[in-house]
Amino acid sequence: MRFNLGFFLGEALKNLRLNVLMSITAVTTTFICILVFGLGLLVSAHIQSIIGSVREDVSVEAFMPDATSQEVDDLANKVETWPEVASVTTVSEEQAFAEFKDQFEDQPDLYQDLDQGVFPASVQIQLEDPDSANAVAGRLKQQGFTESNLSYPQQTIDRLNAVTSYVIWGLYGATLLFLIASVLLISNAIRLSIFARRKEIEVMKLVGASDGFVRTPFVFEGLLQAFVGASLAAFAVIWINLLFVDLSHDALPYVPISTSAVNPFSTLILLIAVGVGIGVFGSFLSVTRFLKKI
Amino acid sequence: MIRFDNVTKVYGNDTVALERVNLGIDSGEFVFLVGASGSGKSTIVRLILKEMEPSAGAIYVNGTKLSSVPRRRIPRLRRDIGCVFQDFKLLPNKTAAENVAYAMEVTGQKRRTIGTKVPQILDLVGLSGKMDKFPDMLSGGEQQRVSIARAFVSQPPILVADEPTGNLDPTTSVGIMQLLHRINRIGTTVVVATHDREMVDVMRKRVVALEEGRVVRDKVKGAYADEV
Repeated sequence: MRFNLGFFLGEALKNLRLNVLMSITAVTTTFICILVFGLGLLVSAHIQSIIGSVREDVSVEAFMPDATSQEVDDLANKVETWPEVASVTTVSEEQAFAEFKDQFEDQPDLYQDLDQGVFPASVQIQLEDPDSANAVAGRLKQQGFTESNLSYPQQTIDRLNAVTSYVIWGLYGATLLFLIASVLLISNAIRLSIFARRKEIEVMKLVGASDGFVRTPFVFEGLLQAFVGASLAAFAVIWINLLFVDLSHDALPYVPISTSAVNPFSTLILLIAVGVGIGVFGSFLSVTRFLKKI
Repeated sequence: MIRFDNVTKVYGNDTVALERVNLGIDSGEFVFLVGASGSGKSTIVRLILKEMEPSAGAIYVNGTKLSSVPRRRIPRLRRDIGCVFQDFKLLPNKTAAENVAYAMEVTGQKRRTIGTKVPQILDLVGLSGKMDKFPDMLSGGEQQRVSIARAFVSQPPILVADEPTGNLDPTTSVGIMQLLHRINRIGTTVVVATHDREMVDVMRKRVVALEEGRVVRDKVKGAYADEV
């Protein structure tokens, strides 16, 4: 039998027009499901990106409280000979205090009661390769440094992970639940529209329509509804991403959040594909189940 | 063309609709199935369409044993049997022409064939002026004509009608019966289940009378009731 695409698409469009309310229900359901799914992806992408940019950090700091400037220089000279190290600078107590004052210029109450000695002198080490940060930190520990006297990226990553791993797993779990829920919701919406038209389907079968012939317009219908809902949701997600990055730049200037964490094009494609997939799968499933009954 | 061998149909556990029915209908025949409500007329029609399976016995349509037709082959089987129902069973969202065209579309016929055939057949049933009307804009008799046009458009060898005049007034019924008669004259086997006594008596065709699921009379050129 010829596959008459024009006929099936025409039937699907006509059905959409005749069942506007049902279509709106299905489109809205898809919209909400894909929106939540997309927001989940968004948050986890940003967290991954922040962890990634911390990992790219090539600096290790060794703090030396109560050390003489001679001791600081000695360490700097020694560290400079290590192969992983690109450059070393020393920061004295005075410089550290000055830097702090610089950073919080507009909040003088933060530092006006502090003594200069609060900020320890330190050696700032720049590495060639971020992957060697742990090795360098390990070697510094052999020199008598403790974990609390060092600052290197892995510490930040560990601290970030301690917080975000729960968030990410929670997010993955919620996303999965939402996907399952959306398959159920969408196939339920389609089941309702099929049930409303069960008489029609029975008549189609009586005049000799095969299951495939009855099913195809419904699947097209599900596809179109899901496409509209998912597209709207995908564009909303992209828009929310831009908005969120803008806002966070103002609110959290030190957190390396960037729009590049999310590729708008592939996110659009992914979200629309997932939505359409659910729509097609849901409608196929529910029509097939109904057809088996008659 | 159609053969029932010792067919019994029991609904549920104890409602006997047909009891050991033997019936043979030859190609080109016009047969009335008559009897009161619940006598088993509709059951015979539904069994011919393989809408359900008999509890016992065998049914042959067009030389095919129905019990050996798998579920996915049923659509093909039904394309060889035009069917007409008391409640017309038209698709409400399609116009008269689209309803007729649908029966051709399911068999995958070419758009151009459909475009020429549909107006012809609607003209034949006397509805050439109402092609673009939706079913709810047509009278009962007109709707039944559309459904006959749909049943006949692919020129199936068999046409079954379950109470085709059940919802129609006597004058309209005559028109419908004449239409069925014309379809029969060009070689189609026609089976009509009815309790329209007048119609059966006027037509003088073969009459198979059913009573509580049993064939009680089978007479060529018969009447609705026994003639004394």
